[in-house]
Amino acid sequence: MTGERTFQKFKRLIPKKAFLLWLDSLRKDYKLIGPVKTGNHAVFKEVDSSEELFMEYGTTMLSPGKLFLYKPNEELFRFAMSGKITIDEIAPIAEKQIIIGVHPCDVNAILYLDRTFLGTFRDPHYEARRKNTLIISLNCTRVSENCFCSSVGAGPFLHAASGYDMLLTDFESEYLVEIKSRKAEELFGLEGRSAGRDEMRLKAEKEKSMKSKFKKAINVSGLDNIFAENMDHPIWQQTAEDKCLSCANCVMVCPTCFCYDLRDEMSMDLKTVTRYRCFDACQDIMFAEVHGGNFRQRRAARLRQFVTHKLDQTNQYGVFGTVGCGRCITWCPTGIDLTEITREIQKFKS
Amino acid sequence: MNKLRLGFFKYSCCMGCSYFFAYVHKHVPEVLASFDFVFIKLLSSKGTPEGPFDIALVEGAITEAWQVDELKMIREQSKKLFAIGSCAVIGGIPAIKATTPELDVEKRVYKNLSSIHSIKPHAVDAYVKVDGYIRGCPPAERDLYEALTSVLTGRKPDFPQYSICIECKLKGNICVLIADNMPCMGPVTNAGCGALCPSMNRACYSCFGPMKQANSPALAKKFKAMGISRDDIIRKFTEFGADTIEFRKAVEMVYED
Amino acid sequence: MKNPLKPIKAIIKGIRPEAEGVKTYTLSTEFPFVAEPGQFNMIGYPGVGEAPISLSAIMQVGDSTLRDGSFKHTIKSVGRVTDFLKDFKKGDELFFRGPYGRGWPVKKAEKKDVLIVAGGVGLAPLRPVIQIVLNQRESFGDVSLIYGARNEKNMLFMNEFKIWEKDISLYITVDEVSDVSKSPHPPFTKGGQGGITKEWSGGINVGLVTDLLDRVKIQPERTIAFVCGPEIMMRFVCRGLIMHGMLQSSLYVSLERRMKCGIAQCGHCQHSGLFVCKDGPVFSYKEVRGLPDGAL
Repeated sequence: MTGERTFQKFKRLIPKKAFLLWLDSLRKDYKLIGPVKTGNHAVFKEVDSSEELFMEYGTTMLSPGKLFLYKPNEELFRFAMSGKITIDEIAPIAEKQIIIGVHPCDVNAILYLDRTFLGTFRDPHYEARRKNTLIISLNCTRVSENCFCSSVGAGPFLHAASGYDMLLTDFESEYLVEIKSRKAEELFGLEGRSAGRDEMRLKAEKEKSMKSKFKKAINVSGLDNIFAENMDHPIWQQTAEDKCLSCANCVMVCPTCFCYDLRDEMSMDLKTVTRYRCFDACQDIMFAEVHGGNFRQRRAARLRQFVTHKLDQTNQYGVFGTVGCGRCITWCPTGIDLTEITREIQKFKS
Repeated sequence: MNKLRLGFFKYSCCMGCSYFFAYVHKHVPEVLASFDFVFIKLLSSKGTPEGPFDIALVEGAITEAWQVDELKMIREQSKKLFAIGSCAVIGGIPAIKATTPELDVEKRVYKNLSSIHSIKPHAVDAYVKVDGYIRGCPPAERDLYEALTSVLTGRKPDFPQYSICIECKLKGNICVLIADNMPCMGPVTNAGCGALCPSMNRACYSCFGPMKQANSPALAKKFKAMGISRDDIIRKFTEFGADTIEFRKAVEMVYED
Repeated sequence: MKNPLKPIKAIIKGIRPEAEGVKTYTLSTEFPFVAEPGQFNMIGYPGVGEAPISLSAIMQVGDSTLRDGSFKHTIKSVGRVTDFLKDFKKGDELFFRGPYGRGWPVKKAEKKDVLIVAGGVGLAPLRPVIQIVLNQRESFGDVSLIYGARNEKNMLFMNEFKIWEKDISLYITVDEVSDVSKSPHPPFTKGGQGGITKEWSGGINVGLVTDLLDRVKIQPERTIAFVCGPEIMMRFVCRGLIMHGMLQSSLYVSLERRMKCGIAQCGHCQHSGLFVCKDGPVFSYKEVRGLPDGAL
């Protein structure tokens, strides 16, 4: 992560086969996680061999960051309730793991989660896993139907300076391998052709051609003000009535949504209480309820909270909450599209 | 510690919740250790429904007038009263008849109506104040323990009030509604089961009933667009939730369509 | 590494019934607890959960209110956690973590007139401010407290009014008279419609807090206002004070939100990019006026 000593940021062209064999050689020390094809979909999961990997995948339903770094469910404390109460803090499990094939949007999403969990208050579980995880990103070779990362600068090729370990670009039979961290430099022993100016030019051309393939786009200029000035735009109420189910699928598949709930579960013999954390969603009716009032009682207000948290509210972390992965559009049962909502509001503005 | 007095009352239902409570769930011995089963028909024909009770669990929908009287009496005698199972919580299976005139239903079943005194089916909370809902068919284990431990420790119970989709995604299931085009009721259904059916690659049929403020007409529209027939859509929303405001909205919309 | 979500055990040193359904708990833990006025703790109990509760008395840096490092929470039993606490007794254990958030900018108020406006249990988070004022009375100009509650049964810290009024002007009001005959604090005076407004010494007005704003002498340019109560009350108080010529930036409000973590992670208290737990709970009115989904 940041603050590391300098290292050699070399770029090499490595035959795909050789690269994957190298990955397999790391399996004795690392858990290997990557995209795997199941039915018509790809899922990030642990694999026994690089042969299982499906590197040409378009998109996954759940992002690797919210499966293997920020976990859906996490036990935090166990209380023993007999006599004087004692607290047992569950230690972070720091298993070494490699996540391969992480698309640029998902790497950016992990960098976003870092802002939440490695900020003033650091989450020990997230931090331990983050430190023990090698992230190998893969520039996109396909644009899925709902991708709009190019509009928000989060893809299709990765430009983040740090926070991940390696970047791969598909060069037909080879990968262009770029080393992005000291850890990666130390681990990566493969010799190959050094990539020079020509290869980098080719990479830039590939990126340009990818960018031309996007079907979805969003104009982000001035969004902060546009949303703030249109809090009561009819689109919110209309979408909330016609389409929004408050099912929270959008939040659950969003790679940057970080909200969680802390829950206690007491054993039936009343002797132990487990306090765990799990993802929570602003679409949940109880989410903003306090005694005597609910700040987002209306479905429209909850929908607006999600959309504006992704597209304005950059005052929070200085970046957009969206990485343009389009998952919330794909997995919304009724097809609510935040780019359409934005366009509608922008139309009203002009 | 003195055991708390527990009564388990059955109205119109399959008695599956009693069975689940007495035999099936994971912590039967612990429950027996903490509660004195003063009244539960499934286990004993003895006992009396006369209280007082520290906790009353009520299963079944209310479909006859005498049940209303007894239920009110039980409420008065019980410190805490929980509705258990879909029939008691939302009307459930007995409430399927809610959309048909009562006399038509009676005529369909009985030849001689002189001794039949059925009323419109309603959930328990239509008649008495309820301290919590242990939803599901069969009821959710976690919610049952939450209700029981809350009574034992004197705290307010906490039950989930969000959609099945949240539980489903927490498990990492691929969405059967989007990916497989199955008419899944998950988005409008209250959580608690741990997304059991979608985890088995089947569509949710909403046995837990609607979540609060569910937008069921929007889901009905989606089903229609998926090519589900009008009758099937109505069935989906009336199988368990025929007597709920949330699902009625969908049914009314489909009828008007 | 320590998990910031790990709760700390505290012992209840004393419980004082304050008003209907409201009790003040004096807590102490293994170390002297220091906090800023306006900050809050997550108070909880295993199996019940946690809730954000502001501190109603603290050992302040360079101050001697609670010398032993204990601290107080004044809690109304309404929710899951607070309802559970109502049966606790002296000597019982409970859990907390904190202090969290940004408190009242008391330093900024020095040498100025201070107007404190509170509604209901909203007086609890302002009590540490009053304590500072009383301890360093000469550092502040005119100090007034306008306090309203539904009725006198819901009024906090009534036993302390006598001490407070020696140094600050008190204006007390109720929305309704609950039971005049039984009230230990007659007489009630009609505040709303041109009646006499009594400063405390037993006098309670009838009417809204906002009615009293007109009766307090406010020098807008040298006044700083601290407001805490139901959000709708804060809205009208702030708007009223702006009518009096006060700047939005000299009005401070404390917001109440659902919180699970208190450390800007769980997202429950977010409003338009702000984490109320970290950026607040005290905000200048300028920062939060017109906040989407809020009442300000």
